[in-house]
Amino acid sequence: MSATKSEKDLHLPLSRVKTIMKSSPDVDAVGPEPLYLVTKVTEMFVTDLAKRAHKNTKGNMLEYKHIAEVVQEDDTLDFLREIVPRKITVREYKELMARKAARGDRSDESSEESSEAESSDGSSSGVEIIE
Amino acid sequence: MAEKLEDLNLPMSVVTRIVKESLPEGVAISKEARTGLAKAASVFVLYVTSAATNIVKNNKRKTLTGQDVLEAMKDIEFDRFVGPLTEALENYKQAVSARKSGAGKKKEDVEEIETIEED
Repeated sequence: MSATKSEKDLHLPLSRVKTIMKSSPDVDAVGPEPLYLVTKVTEMFVTDLAKRAHKNTKGNMLEYKHIAEVVQEDDTLDFLREIVPRKITVREYKELMARKAARGDRSDESSEESSEAESSDGSSSGVEIIE
Repeated sequence: MAEKLEDLNLPMSVVTRIVKESLPEGVAISKEARTGLAKAASVFVLYVTSAATNIVKNNKRKTLTGQDVLEAMKDIEFDRFVGPLTEALENYKQAVSARKSGAGKKKEDVEEIETIEED
């Protein structure tokens, strides 16, 4: 890899990464070097996540659930658990709610959410049943 | 500053291209998987940023440096990225200093750097 090429190897738009970084309350300015690094490492992260998710596939189709599986199994990906929750079927969801109701929990806040949003009560591990 | 909410997400088309390049040819990626990966990438940017700014704050400094980003990777237990990232940083620095010394031949490269530094 030649030196002049080194930032052409980026795919993601620097301007967008910068906008996202600046949306963080503690960030006023972002210099070119940290911007380059955050962009680069985000690309590494995507590659890594995709490869690991791909290992969960059987056929030739990478699906949402394969990604959710990686996220649920790796504690360093805890920060993604609300973004990529494990999906459950409506039936599983109803069973889950019924079980919660039977325990007398106040579970009605989350009942309007669809089957994919089950983690609204703060459980960090997706669909796990909470006591 | 972010004008629109979409500005806070990385473009899905680009994320998908990265994913395709990392997987064997012929693997299809479902629409939901694409969306999930793009969201994950966008959140990752913020996650790294906040880990890095924590380091800046703890050291009572103001400016975020490249070293902070590298350190942040250890704090969030992504140590496996530190090696390749350090290497990328070296290449990047070389490219920048080559350009500053007037050796940069590609005009658009120079312009790109300038627009980064502007605002």
